[in-house]
Amino acid sequence: MAETYGVGIGWRPEIAGFVAGLPGLRFAEVVAESVHAHGELPPGLGDLIERGVTVVPHGVRLSLGGAEPVDPQRVRHLAEVAERVRAPLVSEHIAFVRAGGVEAGHLLPLPRSREAVDAVVANVRRTQAELAVPLALEPIAALFDWPDDELSEADFLTEILDRTGAGLLLDVANVYANARNRGTDPLELLDELPLDRVAYVHVAGGAEHDGLYHDTHSHATPQPVLDLVGELCRRHRPPALMLERDGDYPPAAELRAELDAIAHAAGYPEVTAA
Amino acid sequence: MRDTWGISGPTFIGLYLAALAVMALGHAIHRKVRFRGTRGAAAGDLGPQQVAYLNGGDQLAVYAAMGGLRAAGLIGTGPQRTLVQTGPLTAGVTPLDAAVHNAAGHQVRSRDVLGDQWVRSALDQLRTGLEQRGLAVSRADLGALRLWAVPVAALLAVGVLRLIAGISTGKPVGFLVPAAFFTLVLLIAIARTRRTATAAATRAMAELRSRHSHLSPRQSPAYATYGATGAAMGVALFGAASLYSMDPAFAAEAEIQRAVAGGSGGDTSGYSCGSSSGSTSSCGSSSSCGGGSSCGGGGGCGG
Repeated sequence: MAETYGVGIGWRPEIAGFVAGLPGLRFAEVVAESVHAHGELPPGLGDLIERGVTVVPHGVRLSLGGAEPVDPQRVRHLAEVAERVRAPLVSEHIAFVRAGGVEAGHLLPLPRSREAVDAVVANVRRTQAELAVPLALEPIAALFDWPDDELSEADFLTEILDRTGAGLLLDVANVYANARNRGTDPLELLDELPLDRVAYVHVAGGAEHDGLYHDTHSHATPQPVLDLVGELCRRHRPPALMLERDGDYPPAAELRAELDAIAHAAGYPEVTAA
Repeated sequence: MRDTWGISGPTFIGLYLAALAVMALGHAIHRKVRFRGTRGAAAGDLGPQQVAYLNGGDQLAVYAAMGGLRAAGLIGTGPQRTLVQTGPLTAGVTPLDAAVHNAAGHQVRSRDVLGDQWVRSALDQLRTGLEQRGLAVSRADLGALRLWAVPVAALLAVGVLRLIAGISTGKPVGFLVPAAFFTLVLLIAIARTRRTATAAATRAMAELRSRHSHLSPRQSPAYATYGATGAAMGVALFGAASLYSMDPAFAAEAEIQRAVAGGSGGDTSGYSCGSSSGSTSSCGSSSSCGGGSSCGGGGGCGG
């Protein structure tokens, strides 16, 4: 993505009217599995695309990190949705959601082993072969590390990106959550990551529960995450940063303030004004 | 053998059918004219309660007010299905908001809100304004249309008398029976004529419904994000089911009739009364239900 888009938001049917009312919006993400490849677009999403807003499908069910090859039908769906919404790229997670035919219903983290890298790379290449647009990969938040981790987080990601040519979808809230829960410095990870490969960024809120920080997407973005956005943009400003909110939606004024706070932290124009 | 009343059977049935056709056509034309409303009437600035009245009559207008007040945290439910105030009224509310909030202050049972005097007068004010703008069908118009029942009933009486006379003298009445039946159908249709929104208003509401499609309960709208006005507009456009989508506990406690309105005919979203189960009683009990074409005709309701 050579173009810069500024601040965006995760499009959800629940807040479609709010998203439609953001005059400066140029970037939104939609859960790929919620869009029919051939049927009608969800109400409101089509208008957004007509308006010239870039809409990026975000897959959650591909299971790129699974030991078995990705399901060709799911890959085809992702490719068709990308075409349908005229997306310049798509994104998926570095995670697995099923193993041995059992659905976890969750994004599960991979052990950071060479074997896992090989499995992910193979699946990413299979996916890329079907896609007409670039793929960006998002590492997920993990509340624990596998005992047999061979690689550091940064090395693990860099290796996957280098071998596949994929972009990075960096979730700043995840970086914050992981560092906080492991007692490490989030800036260290930022400094180790190939920030020039960041396609776009997720920003989200979370809450602490029993001493652990959970990346809930249903709380306001806390100041430390916004500070981390600022640090990231000082190092290398990504072309788009978007607010990811998945539930417990607040009044419009609060959402607008959150979008503006991200814009200020990143030095991008506010999307709440024309 | 003499003709009954000195008129031959074929002549009588011809005259009868001609009279029936003239009345049916006359009524249809009159109806179209009276229901047309003001073409191009500006409906873009309509508030949620006005839209709710047009979509579902008095009951839905009150529900829209309740939805807005509930979303703003100003009313709740108390014991015995009553409404209670949970906050002071803010500036800039409509007369109906104030009236419903006031009724809640007296712990009126939610189903009795429509009978509250202040609420009634606020509704009258709402309706009068809409009638003047050519958006609501006036009661005078409905009365004028119902006058068609007089000649049609007279025609039916003539037909029935002729039928009796014919049967008693052993004349063939094979054509008269269906003719009298169609007259009865027309009479019932005239007597049951009810309508809230003019054709102009119905068109305007279709436009509003598509503009506010994000408020359809199918989208599980984030009412907190859309605020009190959004919540009220959701109820107004998509019916009382929106109240259940927004606050199921409150809606159940307040005995909100889920089947009230829910988009008029031709609504592409297909969201009508049908979502409720076995609610024929709740639909029939309220006069407001006849307002929307989706409800009054019977087909769309209480599925």
